[in-house]
Amino acid sequence: MPALIEVNHLSYVHPQAAPAALPALQDISFTIEEGELVSLVGANGSGKTTLARHMNALLVPTSGRICIGGFDTRQEKDYSTIRSMVGMVFQSPEDQIVGMTVEEDVAFGPENLGIAPAEIRRRVNTAIETVDMQQFRLRPPHQLSAGQMQRVALAGILAMRPSCIVFDEATSLLDPQGRRDVMDLLRQLNREGLTIIYITHFMEEAALANRVIALNQGKIVLDGTPAEFFSGQARLEEIGLSLPPAAALVVQLRPVLPALPLGLLTGESLLSALPSCPMPHILVTNRKPMARPVSPVLIEVSNLGYTYLRGTPFAQRALAGVSLKAGDHINHGLIGATGSGKSTLLQHLNGLIRPQEGTVRVGPFTLNDAKISLKTVCQYAGLAFQIPEAQFFEQYVGDEVAFGPRQMGMKKGLAGPVRQAMELVGLDFEKFKDRLTFTLSGGEKRKVALASVLALRPTVLLLDEPLAGMDPVSHRELLAGLKGLSGQGMTLVVSSHYMEDLVDLAENLTLLKSGKDVLSGSNSAVFSSQEILRQAGLEPPLVTRVAQCLRQQGWPLPEGVIHAQDLVSLLEQTLRGATA
Amino acid sequence: MSNFEYMGQVTIGQYLPLDSFLHHLDARARILIFSFTILLITFEPKLTGLLACLILVVIGLVLGHIPLRYAIRGLLPPLPFLIILAVLQIFIAGKITPSPILFQYGVIAITVSGIWAGVSLIVRFTGLILGLSLATFCLSTSHLVHGLEALLRPLNRIGVPTRDLIMVIQVTVRFLPILAQTAERIAKSQAARGAEWGIGRGNLFQRARQVIPLIVPLFISSLHQAENMALAMDARAYGSNSMPTSMVDLNFRLLDGLVVAGDLVLCLAILVFAH
Repeated sequence: MPALIEVNHLSYVHPQAAPAALPALQDISFTIEEGELVSLVGANGSGKTTLARHMNALLVPTSGRICIGGFDTRQEKDYSTIRSMVGMVFQSPEDQIVGMTVEEDVAFGPENLGIAPAEIRRRVNTAIETVDMQQFRLRPPHQLSAGQMQRVALAGILAMRPSCIVFDEATSLLDPQGRRDVMDLLRQLNREGLTIIYITHFMEEAALANRVIALNQGKIVLDGTPAEFFSGQARLEEIGLSLPPAAALVVQLRPVLPALPLGLLTGESLLSALPSCPMPHILVTNRKPMARPVSPVLIEVSNLGYTYLRGTPFAQRALAGVSLKAGDHINHGLIGATGSGKSTLLQHLNGLIRPQEGTVRVGPFTLNDAKISLKTVCQYAGLAFQIPEAQFFEQYVGDEVAFGPRQMGMKKGLAGPVRQAMELVGLDFEKFKDRLTFTLSGGEKRKVALASVLALRPTVLLLDEPLAGMDPVSHRELLAGLKGLSGQGMTLVVSSHYMEDLVDLAENLTLLKSGKDVLSGSNSAVFSSQEILRQAGLEPPLVTRVAQCLRQQGWPLPEGVIHAQDLVSLLEQTLRGATA
Repeated sequence: MSNFEYMGQVTIGQYLPLDSFLHHLDARARILIFSFTILLITFEPKLTGLLACLILVVIGLVLGHIPLRYAIRGLLPPLPFLIILAVLQIFIAGKITPSPILFQYGVIAITVSGIWAGVSLIVRFTGLILGLSLATFCLSTSHLVHGLEALLRPLNRIGVPTRDLIMVIQVTVRFLPILAQTAERIAKSQAARGAEWGIGRGNLFQRARQVIPLIVPLFISSLHQAENMALAMDARAYGSNSMPTSMVDLNFRLLDGLVVAGDLVLCLAILVFAH
């Protein structure tokens, strides 16, 4: 029997590429057998998506060949067979839903395969049950959350009964809960015998595979087990990737806890490998939570309520009595699942949405006052939207960044603020100002988008998921850039799905759940409230979980440890105390 | 209401998933009765006939359990244009057909037939807007598409690719909310950077100019999304089988036939008796 996927010396050149351009894929060869769980990793632009699209004949090799279950993808007559064997779930949830209701979308694939109506109905029912979307089956797609849409997309593939599913960064735009759900589903399907190939930027997700294939500049640089793949940190950085957070933490902890084995790749395996305290029980003194420096309140929201499409049958309550206080020069983080109201709240803070109930004050502006114009407020509080690069409207980087100042009536001397804004995010003015926006890499686009908000020199910077969808290297660069900004005298209000990032980026946090603030406080206090976080579909950062687990093992650690360095030095102190 | 909620300001085109007599009819029956009625409103020349049609549409709204106030809200945005058109009609129609003059000032003359034409125009468009809204309130896009597909199926025999045509409609409809959401996002991101968007100030020309920076990125982003959707459709074997099937089985009952026949008879009666 032929292998499920057999790739032989595959090379691919984009048809529109310049003649001198490097091929997108170069001499790729590998075989995937039935039942494998493979993760495909690599930096942005390394050719992962291009390779994935060869696996169900969306692209055909320029040279070499790829056979799916023995069928060569160059034979157009076999497309129906190939596409019923290998299904694909794409990154962007809304673009891949064709049907007008959940149910009909799931039926789309089987209908195209010419399956009998009664059988389609059966398959659709099973597929919708598998992804747990029964109660939404008649909903139109645009009324679903991103995570739900992604589950519908998966159901649509499952209904075609493929033997293999390829996920192209299917989790990168989802919240932690949505990501966990999709990853759990994908592993469960693999246990049931399906072959799964998934592209991911999250190294902890890559670590869950049985096999990792890594691409760099169109070539395979490694094909092996996760343990082999993650054994060399230097090589990972070279190709724009990183260790999974658990493995990175192990590296930091091993000097103090030599008993920790190397090669722990997931949070769960790390937590279960933590040693108990070698000393008899020591009384744990709870560290007093550090008092925050007192500063005047810059942003004050009280009892804010907001309903979208109020007064129509589609009314949707987004905020139901949120209160929040953010101090001057104290960065504030907003956390919560998708749909908890973070974006709606942020849009209130620069006056895009005016309060329906409750009050909002941002700096000197009381936003309940309709006379205060949006134009005034948005100079004071700049807002960068989710995936801001999707809203680029100028051709050139320089014009895009200059849009804000130009709107404010600036005609001459635009270069100054534009240069300043670009340099704040680490973009060289001379090098980038005349670049076309669509030729930039993912990370560069995000920086331009940030610069275009910074060009108005705002006092408050509102960031909605500033790091979503970035590969590990761009993620790290952007994070460093954002930290730098708060040093420039700006106050940041950041919403994020990545708890780890907020450890450094926000001193205070507010947890939102169904449009209400359920928890506010310093980041260490909020992250220590594991139970409340879990109920809201979130998980504290790994360091906090490790510290909590060590406490349970008898280590005298205080609550609220959120920095790896703190954890290491606390453990050192304990051990030194024991030997002294 | 926020200036940016484009979806909320348009009531026409929104399906209301209600549990009414109309909603339970076969999709083909609904398409037929709505088409008959709307065709009649379009071509009926007499005011009495138009008023009768309006009553027919209101009966439809009641049978469909549509809140009247919600339906009427859809009339408000085009109302200014309708009034302008009606006023023009009063002057123009008065010139074409000779009729008693009610009021004269220089070249401007208001005649009985002119007023009649103006009122007819308002009633006709009210009927059309309400009728089209009723159709969209009661006919989900999916029912519309499947109903149309079933109605057009006979054309397949003479070589018309009905499934592809229907797919074009389906994708277009699917894109409407996506477009609205994208437009909202772009407008918001421009406004957040100081563009005077959604404020509705300035004259018509200035306002039209404000739309240009919205249109270009909207096109680019739509093309991008359309490309993605085409890929997703390809990946799900669209067009790779010459005999695609459909999960939805429509069931045309006797009641459906009666309703269609009843509506047809009423429409013909209005057409005949109004003359």
